[in-house]
Amino acid sequence: MQNESAIDPKIFEEILKFSKNVIDAPKLVSAPDEISLEVTKHDVVQEMDKTRLLHYAPLTDKQHKTPLLISYALINRYHILDIHPEKSWVRNLLQQGFDVYMLDWGTPTSMDKYLDFDDYVNGYLDAYVEYIKNESSVEKISLQGYCTGATIATAYITLHPENVKNYIATAPVIDGWRDTTVISNLAKHMDVDKMVEVVGNMPPEFMYYCFSVLKPFEQGIEKYVNFFKNIENKKFVDSFLRVEKWLSDTPPIPGELFKQWIKDIYQDNLLIQNKMYVGNQLIDLKKITMPIFTQVAVGDHLVSPECSMPLHYAVGSKDKTLRMYPTGHVGMIASSLSQKKVLPELGKWLLERS
Amino acid sequence: MHLMASKPQALNSIGPMRAFASNSKKVSTELIEINEVLMGFNQYYTEYYKQLSDTWTDAQKKVNIKAPEVPHDVEQIEAFKRIWIDIFDNDFTELFDSKKFGENYGKLVSKELELTKHWNNITNVILQSVNLPSKEEIDEVYKEIHTLKKRVGKLELELKKKEMKKNAK
Repeated sequence: MQNESAIDPKIFEEILKFSKNVIDAPKLVSAPDEISLEVTKHDVVQEMDKTRLLHYAPLTDKQHKTPLLISYALINRYHILDIHPEKSWVRNLLQQGFDVYMLDWGTPTSMDKYLDFDDYVNGYLDAYVEYIKNESSVEKISLQGYCTGATIATAYITLHPENVKNYIATAPVIDGWRDTTVISNLAKHMDVDKMVEVVGNMPPEFMYYCFSVLKPFEQGIEKYVNFFKNIENKKFVDSFLRVEKWLSDTPPIPGELFKQWIKDIYQDNLLIQNKMYVGNQLIDLKKITMPIFTQVAVGDHLVSPECSMPLHYAVGSKDKTLRMYPTGHVGMIASSLSQKKVLPELGKWLLERS
Repeated sequence: MHLMASKPQALNSIGPMRAFASNSKKVSTELIEINEVLMGFNQYYTEYYKQLSDTWTDAQKKVNIKAPEVPHDVEQIEAFKRIWIDIFDNDFTELFDSKKFGENYGKLVSKELELTKHWNNITNVILQSVNLPSKEEIDEVYKEIHTLKKRVGKLELELKKKEMKKNAK
């Protein structure tokens, strides 16, 4: 009697191929320290404490007059905006003729645990805006805030509207009560006073935990299965490793800043209610009257669209634009979609106002 | 016995043992409190894993209903994997988004922080016995540096404004 197996032999082939890929992986992929995330040429033009201001070298003969400063998020590092030559947010803007600066918040140490919103908004950000104004001989600059960097930038433009000509809010964290993400749920139930009192700065390890519960099976299993399946695809591997390196590098967040962020945004939701104070000054979103461009990703599982969109409706600006893109939090800034759709639209909007 | 035991402390009035011994009661108190905190921590820790385990079981049941047959070829395996990941991601995201998870996780973290605080307090006793600053004392220094930096920053700004006014004249 013939022993027939109902299992397709291709399954065994697939398993063998996958196993071979896992074994070959160390020979085919670079070590994390061999990958440089510094893609586009830039100079560090200013430093304050641990923060730095980067100025990117132009890629066009002529540049638009109004410079653009990007206020990156407090989580992970600015490299995601310049992660790969073909997916670089910064490079694309440079190619469109914009003069681009980037704020690197640096790596706070225990000594920086008392840095708060006031230091970030009225200290670092304000000082760098003033520097750019002086360097470029302009009265006003364009400002872009990404994620939590947009929370800081939003506070800044309400307190220093005279310095900002155009504001771009990319996935801004604004309305914590409307945020439907897991991060928001964890933040709402956090005893942040106790955390800051005991551990000081918000440790990166805790943030890694928070991120690990976001789409845990797709991000924790499928992503790596795909990586090993595509181990011979150099382009895929390069792109994968760059993002992985970026993900694994997040600085601590200064304790006082973290405390105010969690309390005022997620727990008490003061910002959208125009009740938040920064350095004893009220943040009134109605005072924002400059042109504003809000970018939201429909599939954002870190900052849900419901959390970002209220900014568009809360500001006093008459010239305001809201764009929603069919992508995620990172996809909006570092993907082929961002290159083909998000950045050309932003460039057009900015050019008309620069 | 008591005199004999306390003799080294009396002899070494500036050594670590005297300072440590005078605060040793504090260490005992902290250890007793750590045990109490550990009981609470275990309660929330158990609940944390129960929530994860229950969600896993429910998600697997859903997968079994949706994909009852054992996959036999590569395409079927791919389809099964997709169903498995989608159901597990949805169910776990629902759990992590829930009030019951948020509350329990918040309490679990809070207990961990209490443990850390008691551990800090014990460490402070040891630090003080060798005349080293405690965490609170270092925090005071950090706070003072922060306040001073802010004051210097404001003064520099005022000076800059005055200079600009002067130059404008």
